[in-house]
Amino acid sequence: MFDIIGPVMIGPSSSHTAGACAIGRAAHSIFKTKPTDIVIHYYDSFAKTHKGHGTDYAIISGILGFAPDDARVPYAIKLAQDAGINMTFIAEVKASPIHHPNTAIIELKNQQKSIVVAGCSIGGGTIEIREIKMDGFDIKPRGPLPILLVPGSEADHHMITKLLSKLTEVTDQKHYQAEDHNLYEYDLDRQLQHTEVQKLAADYGQLVYLQGVS
Amino acid sequence: MYMHVSELVAAAQVKQQPIYELMITQEMSVTHASRDDIWQAMGRNLDVMAAAIEKGAAGEGVHSKTGLTGGEAVLLKKYREKGHTLAGDTVMEAVQNAVATSEVNAAMGVVCATPTAGSAGTLPGVLFTLKDRLDLNRDQMIQFLFTAGAFGMIIANNAGIAGATGGCQAEVGSASAMAASAAVAIAGGTPEQSSEALAIAISNLLGLVCDPVAGLVELPCVKRNAIGVGNALIAADMALAGCTNKIPADEVIVAMDKIGKNLPDSLRETGLGGLAATPTAVRIKERIFGHHPTAQA
Repeated sequence: MFDIIGPVMIGPSSSHTAGACAIGRAAHSIFKTKPTDIVIHYYDSFAKTHKGHGTDYAIISGILGFAPDDARVPYAIKLAQDAGINMTFIAEVKASPIHHPNTAIIELKNQQKSIVVAGCSIGGGTIEIREIKMDGFDIKPRGPLPILLVPGSEADHHMITKLLSKLTEVTDQKHYQAEDHNLYEYDLDRQLQHTEVQKLAADYGQLVYLQGVS
Repeated sequence: MYMHVSELVAAAQVKQQPIYELMITQEMSVTHASRDDIWQAMGRNLDVMAAAIEKGAAGEGVHSKTGLTGGEAVLLKKYREKGHTLAGDTVMEAVQNAVATSEVNAAMGVVCATPTAGSAGTLPGVLFTLKDRLDLNRDQMIQFLFTAGAFGMIIANNAGIAGATGGCQAEVGSASAMAASAAVAIAGGTPEQSSEALAIAISNLLGLVCDPVAGLVELPCVKRNAIGVGNALIAADMALAGCTNKIPADEVIVAMDKIGKNLPDSLRETGLGGLAATPTAVRIKERIFGHHPTAQA
Protein backbone atom coordinates (compact mmCIF):
# COMPACT_ATOMS: atom_id res chain seq x y z
CA MET A 1 0.00 0.00 0.00
CA PHE A 2 2.57 2.56 1.07
CA ASP A 3 4.71 1.82 -1.95
CA ILE A 4 1.79 3.07 -4.09
CA ILE A 5 0.92 6.14 -1.95
CA GLY A 6 4.57 6.76 -1.11
CA PRO A 7 7.38 6.52 -0.35
CA VAL A 8 8.06 10.02 0.89
CA MET A 9 11.32 10.84 -0.82
CA ILE A 10 13.72 13.43 -2.18
CA GLY A 11 13.13 13.87 -5.93
CA PRO A 12 13.32 13.54 -8.78
CA SER A 13 12.55 9.93 -9.82
CA SER A 14 11.08 7.16 -7.69
CA SER A 15 12.58 4.34 -9.71
CA HIS A 16 15.93 6.09 -10.29
CA THR A 17 16.24 7.87 -6.92
CA ALA A 18 14.16 6.19 -4.19
CA GLY A 19 14.56 2.78 -5.85
CA ALA A 20 18.30 3.28 -6.24
CA CYS A 21 18.49 4.34 -2.60
CA ALA A 22 16.62 1.14 -1.64
CA ILE A 23 19.09 -1.04 -3.61
CA GLY A 24 21.89 0.79 -1.80
CA ARG A 25 20.18 0.17 1.54
CA ALA A 26 19.93 -3.54 0.76
CA ALA A 27 23.70 -3.59 0.19
CA HIS A 28 24.14 -1.64 3.44
CA SER A 29 22.03 -4.22 5.34
CA ILE A 30 24.20 -7.03 4.00
CA PHE A 31 27.60 -5.37 4.40
CA LYS A 32 26.74 -3.90 7.82
CA THR A 33 30.03 -1.97 8.15
CA LYS A 34 31.69 0.92 6.33
CA PRO A 35 33.16 0.10 2.90
CA THR A 36 36.42 1.57 1.66
CA ASP A 37 35.56 0.99 -1.99
CA ILE A 38 32.25 1.18 -3.85
CA VAL A 39 31.86 0.17 -7.49
CA ILE A 40 28.46 0.61 -9.15
CA HIS A 41 27.59 -0.94 -12.50
CA TYR A 42 24.53 0.54 -14.22
CA TYR A 43 22.58 -1.12 -17.03
CA ASP A 44 19.99 0.05 -19.62
CA SER A 45 17.82 2.94 -18.38
CA PHE A 46 20.01 3.34 -15.30
CA ALA A 47 23.11 3.50 -17.53
CA LYS A 48 21.57 6.13 -19.79
CA THR A 49 20.08 8.46 -17.20
CA HIS A 50 21.82 7.92 -13.88
CA LYS A 51 23.35 11.39 -13.80
CA GLY A 52 20.20 13.29 -14.60
CA HIS A 53 18.03 11.34 -12.22
CA GLY A 54 20.35 11.68 -9.24
CA THR A 55 20.85 7.91 -9.18
CA ASP A 56 24.48 8.32 -8.08
CA TYR A 57 23.80 10.24 -4.89
CA ALA A 58 20.70 8.14 -4.22
CA ILE A 59 22.49 4.80 -4.39
CA ILE A 60 25.41 6.08 -2.31
CA SER A 61 23.00 7.47 0.29
CA GLY A 62 21.43 4.02 0.56
CA ILE A 63 24.85 2.40 0.97
CA LEU A 64 25.53 4.91 3.76
CA GLY A 65 22.25 3.80 5.37
CA PHE A 66 20.15 6.92 4.73
CA ALA A 67 16.37 6.71 4.22
CA PRO A 68 15.06 8.09 0.88
CA ASP A 69 13.61 11.21 2.55
CA ASP A 70 16.78 11.98 4.54
CA ALA A 71 17.81 15.59 3.93
CA ARG A 72 21.42 14.38 3.41
CA VAL A 73 20.47 12.34 0.30
CA PRO A 74 21.51 14.96 -2.31
CA TYR A 75 24.89 15.40 -0.54
CA ALA A 76 25.69 11.69 -0.14
CA ILE A 77 28.59 11.65 -2.63
CA LYS A 78 30.35 14.51 -0.88
CA LEU A 79 29.76 12.86 2.49
CA ALA A 80 31.19 9.55 1.24
CA GLN A 81 34.23 11.34 -0.24
CA ASP A 82 34.82 13.10 3.08
CA ALA A 83 34.69 9.71 4.78
CA GLY A 84 37.50 8.53 2.48
CA ILE A 85 35.40 6.10 0.45
CA ASN A 86 36.46 5.48 -3.16
CA MET A 87 33.53 5.46 -5.59
CA THR A 88 33.40 4.32 -9.21
CA PHE A 89 30.30 4.51 -11.41
CA ILE A 90 30.27 2.48 -14.60
CA ALA A 91 27.58 2.84 -17.28
CA GLU A 92 27.57 -0.63 -18.86
CA VAL A 93 26.70 -1.05 -22.52
CA LYS A 94 25.72 -4.71 -22.14
CA ALA A 95 22.16 -5.78 -21.31
CA SER A 96 21.32 -6.27 -17.65
CA PRO A 97 22.51 -9.67 -16.40
CA ILE A 98 19.40 -9.79 -14.19
CA HIS A 99 17.08 -8.82 -17.04
CA HIS A 100 15.55 -5.51 -16.00
CA PRO A 101 16.08 -2.04 -17.55
CA ASN A 102 16.62 -0.38 -14.15
CA THR A 103 19.51 -2.49 -12.93
CA ALA A 104 22.37 -1.61 -10.58
CA ILE A 105 25.05 -4.01 -9.41
CA ILE A 106 26.88 -2.85 -6.31
CA GLU A 107 30.31 -4.07 -5.19
CA LEU A 108 31.34 -3.14 -1.65
CA LYS A 109 34.74 -3.82 -0.21
CA ASN A 110 36.92 -3.13 2.82
CA GLN A 111 39.93 -4.88 4.37
CA GLN A 112 37.77 -7.60 5.93
CA LYS A 113 35.31 -8.57 3.20
CA SER A 114 33.61 -7.88 -0.08
CA ILE A 115 30.07 -8.39 -1.35
CA VAL A 116 28.17 -8.02 -4.63
CA VAL A 117 24.47 -7.12 -4.74
CA ALA A 118 22.43 -7.07 -7.96
CA GLY A 119 19.15 -5.19 -7.71
CA CYS A 120 16.55 -3.67 -9.97
CA SER A 121 14.06 -0.87 -9.46
CA ILE A 122 10.66 -1.95 -10.70
CA GLY A 123 8.74 1.32 -10.22
CA GLY A 124 7.48 3.69 -7.54
CA GLY A 125 10.54 3.06 -5.38
CA THR A 126 9.94 -0.70 -5.13
CA ILE A 127 12.94 -2.95 -5.78
CA GLU A 128 13.90 -6.55 -6.25
CA ILE A 129 17.22 -8.15 -5.25
CA ARG A 130 18.11 -10.93 -7.67
CA GLU A 131 21.66 -11.87 -6.72
CA ILE A 132 23.88 -11.56 -3.65
CA LYS A 133 27.48 -12.74 -3.33
CA MET A 134 28.66 -12.81 0.29
CA ASP A 135 30.91 -15.00 2.44
CA GLY A 136 31.47 -17.44 -0.41
CA PHE A 137 27.72 -17.86 -1.03
CA ASP A 138 26.11 -17.07 -4.38
CA ILE A 139 22.52 -16.35 -3.43
CA LYS A 140 19.90 -16.02 -6.15
CA PRO A 141 16.52 -14.96 -4.76
CA ARG A 142 13.48 -14.66 -7.03
CA GLY A 143 13.59 -10.93 -6.32
CA PRO A 144 10.67 -9.54 -4.33
CA LEU A 145 11.38 -8.36 -0.78
CA PRO A 146 11.23 -8.91 2.14
CA ILE A 147 13.92 -11.59 2.30
CA LEU A 148 15.57 -13.01 5.40
CA LEU A 149 19.05 -14.60 5.14
CA VAL A 150 20.30 -16.67 8.06
CA PRO A 151 23.76 -18.29 8.15
CA GLY A 152 23.68 -21.28 10.49
CA SER A 153 23.16 -24.99 11.01
CA GLU A 154 20.25 -27.19 10.11
CA ALA A 155 19.07 -26.96 13.70
CA ASP A 156 19.04 -23.16 13.36
CA HIS A 157 17.03 -23.54 10.19
CA HIS A 158 14.38 -25.59 12.00
CA MET A 159 14.21 -23.05 14.80
CA ILE A 160 13.93 -20.08 12.41
CA THR A 161 11.24 -21.86 10.41
CA LYS A 162 9.28 -22.37 13.62
CA LEU A 163 9.68 -18.74 14.67
CA LEU A 164 8.73 -17.43 11.23
CA SER A 165 5.63 -19.65 11.03
CA LYS A 166 4.19 -17.66 13.93
CA LEU A 167 4.84 -14.37 12.13
CA THR A 168 4.11 -14.81 8.44
CA GLU A 169 4.01 -17.16 5.51
CA VAL A 170 7.36 -18.18 3.99
CA THR A 171 6.65 -18.06 0.26
CA ASP A 172 9.95 -19.61 -0.77
CA GLN A 173 13.03 -20.96 0.95
CA LYS A 174 16.44 -22.05 -0.27
CA HIS A 175 19.51 -23.66 1.22
CA TYR A 176 23.02 -22.61 0.14
CA GLN A 177 26.31 -24.25 0.98
CA ALA A 178 29.86 -22.85 0.80
CA GLU A 179 32.55 -25.20 2.03
CA ASP A 180 31.22 -26.33 5.42
CA HIS A 181 29.03 -23.26 5.97
CA ASN A 182 25.29 -23.16 5.44
CA LEU A 183 22.96 -20.28 4.70
CA TYR A 184 19.19 -20.29 4.50
CA GLU A 185 17.07 -17.88 2.48
CA TYR A 186 13.44 -17.18 3.39
CA ASP A 187 11.17 -15.10 1.14
CA LEU A 188 8.47 -13.61 3.36
CA ASP A 189 4.87 -12.76 2.59
CA ARG A 190 4.89 -9.49 4.54
CA GLN A 191 7.20 -6.85 6.01
CA LEU A 192 8.24 -7.67 9.54
CA GLN A 193 7.77 -5.01 12.19
CA HIS A 194 11.03 -3.53 13.51
CA THR A 195 10.54 -5.23 16.91
CA GLU A 196 9.99 -8.63 15.27
CA VAL A 197 13.32 -8.36 13.43
CA GLN A 198 15.07 -7.29 16.63
CA LYS A 199 13.74 -10.37 18.43
CA LEU A 200 15.06 -12.68 15.71
CA ALA A 201 18.40 -10.85 15.62
CA ALA A 202 18.83 -11.33 19.38
CA ASP A 203 19.41 -15.06 18.78
CA TYR A 204 20.76 -14.92 15.24
CA GLY A 205 23.11 -11.94 15.14
CA GLN A 206 24.40 -12.81 11.67
CA LEU A 207 20.98 -12.61 10.00
CA VAL A 208 20.34 -10.20 7.16
CA TYR A 209 16.84 -8.76 6.78
CA LEU A 210 16.12 -7.05 3.47
CA GLN A 211 12.95 -5.05 3.83
CA GLY A 212 10.68 -3.89 1.04
CA VAL A 213 9.79 -0.23 1.52
CA SER A 214 12.12 1.72 3.75
CA MET B 1 -5.38 -9.11 -1.65
CA TYR B 2 -7.66 -7.66 -4.28
CA MET B 3 -6.08 -8.55 -7.61
CA HIS B 4 -8.74 -7.11 -9.94
CA VAL B 5 -10.91 -4.00 -10.04
CA SER B 6 -14.00 -6.18 -10.51
CA GLU B 7 -13.16 -8.04 -7.28
CA LEU B 8 -12.73 -4.81 -5.33
CA VAL B 9 -16.01 -3.36 -6.62
CA ALA B 10 -17.88 -6.60 -5.87
CA ALA B 11 -16.44 -6.75 -2.34
CA ALA B 12 -17.52 -3.16 -1.68
CA GLN B 13 -21.03 -3.99 -2.85
CA VAL B 14 -21.34 -7.28 -0.95
CA LYS B 15 -19.85 -5.97 2.29
CA GLN B 16 -21.58 -2.60 1.93
CA GLN B 17 -18.32 -0.91 2.84
CA PRO B 18 -16.51 1.97 1.17
CA ILE B 19 -13.37 1.01 -0.74
CA TYR B 20 -11.07 2.89 1.60
CA GLU B 21 -12.36 0.74 4.46
CA LEU B 22 -11.61 -2.47 2.53
CA MET B 23 -8.14 -1.13 1.87
CA ILE B 24 -7.42 -0.37 5.53
CA THR B 25 -8.62 -3.86 6.52
CA GLN B 26 -6.40 -5.45 3.90
CA GLU B 27 -3.41 -3.38 5.01
CA MET B 28 -3.94 -4.40 8.65
CA SER B 29 -4.02 -8.07 7.73
CA VAL B 30 -0.98 -7.82 5.43
CA THR B 31 1.28 -5.79 7.72
CA HIS B 32 -0.05 -6.71 11.20
CA ALA B 33 0.06 -2.99 12.00
CA SER B 34 -2.76 -1.32 13.94
CA ARG B 35 -5.51 0.67 12.24
CA ASP B 36 -4.30 3.77 14.03
CA ASP B 37 -0.69 3.34 12.82
CA ILE B 38 -1.84 2.85 9.23
CA TRP B 39 -4.13 5.87 9.42
CA GLN B 40 -1.36 8.03 10.90
CA ALA B 41 1.12 6.92 8.24
CA MET B 42 -1.28 7.99 5.50
CA GLY B 43 -1.80 11.27 7.35
CA ARG B 44 1.95 11.90 7.18
CA ASN B 45 1.87 11.31 3.42
CA LEU B 46 -0.95 13.86 3.20
CA ASP B 47 1.17 16.38 5.12
CA VAL B 48 4.09 15.89 2.70
CA MET B 49 1.73 16.51 -0.22
CA ALA B 50 0.36 19.69 1.37
CA ALA B 51 3.85 21.00 2.05
CA ALA B 52 5.01 20.44 -1.56
CA ILE B 53 1.93 22.17 -3.00
CA GLU B 54 2.53 25.16 -0.76
CA LYS B 55 6.28 25.32 -1.33
CA GLY B 56 6.04 25.18 -5.11
CA ALA B 57 3.65 28.12 -5.32
CA ALA B 58 5.07 30.32 -2.54
CA GLY B 59 7.13 33.45 -3.22
CA GLU B 60 9.19 33.00 -6.38
CA GLY B 61 8.52 29.26 -6.39
CA VAL B 62 11.22 26.60 -6.64
CA HIS B 63 13.74 26.06 -9.45
CA SER B 64 15.64 22.96 -10.48
CA LYS B 65 19.44 22.94 -10.62
CA THR B 66 19.40 22.85 -14.43
CA GLY B 67 16.97 25.77 -14.69
CA LEU B 68 14.75 23.73 -17.03
CA THR B 69 11.74 23.83 -14.72
CA GLY B 70 10.47 25.97 -11.88
CA GLY B 71 8.46 29.09 -11.16
CA GLU B 72 5.49 28.12 -13.31
CA ALA B 73 3.22 27.21 -10.38
CA VAL B 74 3.67 30.84 -9.34
CA LEU B 75 2.79 32.03 -12.84
CA LEU B 76 -0.36 29.91 -12.71
CA LYS B 77 -1.29 31.27 -9.30
CA LYS B 78 -0.97 34.88 -10.49
CA TYR B 79 -2.91 34.09 -13.66
CA ARG B 80 -5.73 32.49 -11.66
CA GLU B 81 -5.96 35.58 -9.44
CA LYS B 82 -7.07 37.61 -12.44
CA GLY B 83 -10.14 35.39 -12.68
CA HIS B 84 -10.24 34.88 -16.44
CA THR B 85 -9.10 31.28 -16.87
CA LEU B 86 -10.56 29.47 -19.86
CA ALA B 87 -10.87 26.04 -18.24
CA GLY B 88 -12.35 27.36 -14.99
CA ASP B 89 -10.74 27.79 -11.61
CA THR B 90 -11.23 24.22 -10.36
CA VAL B 91 -9.23 22.78 -13.23
CA MET B 92 -6.58 25.47 -13.05
CA GLU B 93 -6.21 25.16 -9.29
CA ALA B 94 -5.58 21.44 -9.82
CA VAL B 95 -3.05 22.26 -12.54
CA GLN B 96 -1.27 24.71 -10.25
CA ASN B 97 -1.11 22.12 -7.45
CA ALA B 98 0.22 19.46 -9.80
CA VAL B 99 2.86 21.75 -11.30
CA ALA B 100 3.90 23.01 -7.84
CA THR B 101 4.45 19.46 -6.60
CA SER B 102 6.29 18.35 -9.71
CA GLU B 103 8.51 21.43 -9.63
CA VAL B 104 9.44 20.63 -6.02
CA ASN B 105 10.30 17.10 -7.15
CA ALA B 106 12.49 18.34 -10.00
CA ALA B 107 14.23 20.69 -7.56
CA MET B 108 15.15 17.71 -5.33
CA GLY B 109 12.59 18.63 -2.69
CA VAL B 110 10.57 16.17 -0.62
CA VAL B 111 7.51 14.61 -2.28
CA CYS B 112 5.26 11.62 -1.75
CA ALA B 113 5.67 9.36 -4.79
CA THR B 114 2.12 8.47 -5.95
CA PRO B 115 2.66 6.03 -7.57
CA THR B 116 6.02 7.41 -8.74
CA ALA B 117 7.97 10.62 -8.16
CA GLY B 118 7.65 11.65 -11.81
CA SER B 119 3.86 11.49 -11.46
CA ALA B 120 3.78 12.80 -7.88
CA GLY B 121 1.86 15.97 -8.80
CA THR B 122 -1.25 14.33 -10.21
CA LEU B 123 -2.98 12.79 -7.19
CA PRO B 124 -2.39 15.69 -4.76
CA GLY B 125 -3.24 18.09 -7.58
CA VAL B 126 -6.74 16.64 -7.75
CA LEU B 127 -7.12 16.02 -4.01
CA PHE B 128 -6.29 19.53 -2.81
CA THR B 129 -8.58 21.07 -5.39
CA LEU B 130 -11.45 18.84 -4.28
CA LYS B 131 -10.68 19.85 -0.72
CA ASP B 132 -11.69 23.40 -1.62
CA ARG B 133 -14.43 22.44 -4.05
CA LEU B 134 -16.15 19.86 -1.78
CA ASP B 135 -15.01 21.29 1.55
CA LEU B 136 -13.26 18.05 2.57
CA ASN B 137 -11.95 17.61 6.11
CA ARG B 138 -8.67 15.87 6.97
CA ASP B 139 -10.31 12.47 7.52
CA GLN B 140 -11.99 12.61 4.12
CA MET B 141 -8.68 13.52 2.48
CA ILE B 142 -7.04 10.49 4.09
CA GLN B 143 -9.97 8.33 2.91
CA PHE B 144 -9.34 9.65 -0.61
CA LEU B 145 -5.73 8.46 -0.41
CA PHE B 146 -6.72 4.96 0.75
CA THR B 147 -9.25 4.68 -2.09
CA ALA B 148 -6.64 5.81 -4.60
CA GLY B 149 -4.14 3.37 -3.09
CA ALA B 150 -6.59 0.47 -3.44
CA PHE B 151 -7.02 1.10 -7.16
CA GLY B 152 -3.30 1.88 -7.57
CA MET B 153 -2.28 -1.44 -6.04
CA ILE B 154 -4.46 -3.29 -8.52
CA ILE B 155 -2.89 -1.39 -11.41
CA ALA B 156 0.60 -2.15 -10.07
CA ASN B 157 -0.26 -5.84 -9.62
CA ASN B 158 -1.34 -6.18 -13.24
CA ALA B 159 0.93 -3.75 -15.10
CA GLY B 160 4.35 -2.13 -14.61
CA ILE B 161 4.23 1.39 -13.16
CA ALA B 162 7.79 2.45 -13.99
CA GLY B 163 8.44 4.66 -16.99
CA ALA B 164 11.30 2.32 -17.88
CA THR B 165 8.92 -0.62 -18.25
CA GLY B 166 5.60 0.99 -19.18
CA GLY B 167 6.18 4.54 -20.44
CA CYS B 168 4.46 7.64 -19.01
CA GLN B 169 1.02 6.05 -19.47
CA ALA B 170 2.03 3.80 -16.57
CA GLU B 171 3.11 6.74 -14.39
CA VAL B 172 0.91 9.79 -15.07
CA GLY B 173 -1.74 7.48 -16.58
CA SER B 174 -1.90 5.36 -13.42
CA ALA B 175 -1.81 8.42 -11.17
CA SER B 176 -4.61 10.03 -13.15
CA ALA B 177 -6.72 6.87 -12.95
CA MET B 178 -6.13 6.55 -9.20
CA ALA B 179 -7.14 10.20 -8.74
CA ALA B 180 -10.23 9.82 -10.94
CA SER B 181 -11.52 6.76 -9.10
CA ALA B 182 -10.91 8.32 -5.67
CA ALA B 183 -12.51 11.61 -6.79
CA VAL B 184 -15.68 9.73 -7.75
CA ALA B 185 -15.80 8.00 -4.36
CA ILE B 186 -15.25 11.16 -2.32
CA ALA B 187 -17.91 12.97 -4.39
CA GLY B 188 -20.46 10.30 -3.44
CA GLY B 189 -20.29 8.08 -6.53
CA THR B 190 -20.61 4.30 -6.43
CA PRO B 191 -17.69 1.82 -6.52
CA GLU B 192 -18.90 0.89 -10.01
CA GLN B 193 -18.60 4.55 -11.08
CA SER B 194 -15.08 4.68 -9.59
CA SER B 195 -14.17 1.71 -11.73
CA GLU B 196 -15.58 3.45 -14.83
CA ALA B 197 -13.63 6.62 -14.02
CA LEU B 198 -10.45 4.56 -13.75
CA ALA B 199 -11.13 2.86 -17.07
CA ILE B 200 -11.86 6.17 -18.82
CA ALA B 201 -8.82 7.89 -17.33
CA ILE B 202 -6.35 5.18 -18.35
CA SER B 203 -7.93 4.70 -21.78
CA ASN B 204 -7.44 8.41 -22.51
CA LEU B 205 -3.72 8.29 -21.80
CA LEU B 206 -2.85 4.91 -23.35
CA GLY B 207 0.32 5.05 -25.38
CA LEU B 208 1.82 8.03 -23.57
CA VAL B 209 5.59 7.60 -23.88
CA CYS B 210 8.36 8.35 -21.38
CA ASP B 211 10.79 10.67 -23.19
CA PRO B 212 12.49 12.88 -20.61
CA VAL B 213 14.71 15.59 -22.09
CA ALA B 214 18.35 14.91 -21.12
CA GLY B 215 17.03 11.99 -19.07
CA LEU B 216 15.82 14.42 -16.40
CA VAL B 217 12.44 14.30 -14.64
CA GLU B 218 11.64 17.84 -15.81
CA LEU B 219 10.57 18.22 -19.46
CA PRO B 220 7.88 17.13 -20.25
CA CYS B 221 7.23 15.45 -16.87
CA VAL B 222 6.05 18.51 -14.93
CA LYS B 223 3.42 19.45 -17.51
CA ARG B 224 2.33 15.85 -18.02
CA ASN B 225 1.12 16.02 -14.43
CA ALA B 226 -1.05 18.97 -15.48
CA ILE B 227 -2.68 16.82 -18.14
CA GLY B 228 -3.00 14.05 -15.54
CA VAL B 229 -5.19 16.22 -13.27
CA GLY B 230 -7.31 17.56 -16.13
CA ASN B 231 -7.88 14.03 -17.40
CA ALA B 232 -8.72 12.77 -13.89
CA LEU B 233 -11.32 15.46 -13.25
CA ILE B 234 -12.90 14.92 -16.67
CA ALA B 235 -13.00 11.13 -16.24
CA ALA B 236 -14.49 11.49 -12.74
CA ASP B 237 -17.18 13.90 -13.94
CA MET B 238 -18.03 11.65 -16.88
CA ALA B 239 -18.38 8.61 -14.62
CA LEU B 240 -20.50 10.57 -12.15
CA ALA B 241 -22.70 11.67 -15.06
CA GLY B 242 -23.31 8.00 -15.81
CA CYS B 243 -21.01 7.64 -18.84
CA THR B 244 -19.36 4.22 -19.12
CA ASN B 245 -16.13 3.13 -20.77
CA LYS B 246 -17.60 -0.05 -22.33
CA ILE B 247 -14.16 -1.71 -22.07
CA PRO B 248 -13.91 -2.77 -18.40
CA ALA B 249 -11.19 -1.36 -16.14
CA ASP B 250 -9.35 -4.68 -15.72
CA GLU B 251 -9.05 -5.13 -19.48
CA VAL B 252 -7.85 -1.54 -19.89
CA ILE B 253 -5.08 -2.18 -17.34
CA VAL B 254 -3.93 -5.27 -19.24
CA ALA B 255 -3.99 -3.28 -22.49
CA MET B 256 -1.78 -0.65 -20.88
CA ASP B 257 0.68 -3.30 -19.76
CA LYS B 258 0.87 -4.79 -23.25
CA ILE B 259 1.34 -1.38 -24.87
CA GLY B 260 4.13 -0.63 -22.39
CA LYS B 261 5.93 -3.84 -23.24
CA ASN B 262 5.66 -3.05 -26.94
CA LEU B 263 7.13 0.44 -26.62
CA PRO B 264 10.64 0.67 -28.02
CA ASP B 265 13.49 1.24 -25.54
CA SER B 266 13.94 4.77 -26.84
CA LEU B 267 10.50 5.71 -25.43
CA ARG B 268 10.89 4.06 -22.04
CA GLU B 269 12.82 6.45 -19.84
CA THR B 270 16.11 6.27 -21.66
CA GLY B 271 16.06 9.91 -22.75
CA LEU B 272 16.82 8.82 -26.33
CA GLY B 273 13.55 9.18 -28.26
CA GLY B 274 10.48 11.39 -28.56
CA LEU B 275 10.91 14.92 -27.22
CA ALA B 276 14.34 13.92 -25.87
CA ALA B 277 15.54 13.40 -29.45
CA THR B 278 14.49 16.84 -30.75
CA PRO B 279 17.29 19.23 -31.77
CA THR B 280 16.49 21.55 -28.88
CA ALA B 281 16.54 18.68 -26.39
CA VAL B 282 19.88 17.48 -27.73
CA ARG B 283 21.30 21.00 -27.27
CA ILE B 284 19.92 21.11 -23.71
CA LYS B 285 21.52 17.77 -22.94
CA GLU B 286 24.89 18.94 -24.26
CA ARG B 287 24.66 22.17 -22.28
CA ILE B 288 24.02 20.24 -19.06
CA PHE B 289 26.25 17.20 -19.43
CA GLY B 290 28.69 17.97 -22.23
CA HIS B 291 28.94 15.63 -25.22
CA HIS B 292 29.14 12.27 -23.47
CA PRO B 293 26.52 12.27 -20.77
CA THR B 294 26.52 8.52 -20.19
CA ALA B 295 30.26 8.05 -19.95
CA GLN B 296 31.80 7.22 -16.61
CA ALA B 297 31.08 9.71 -13.89
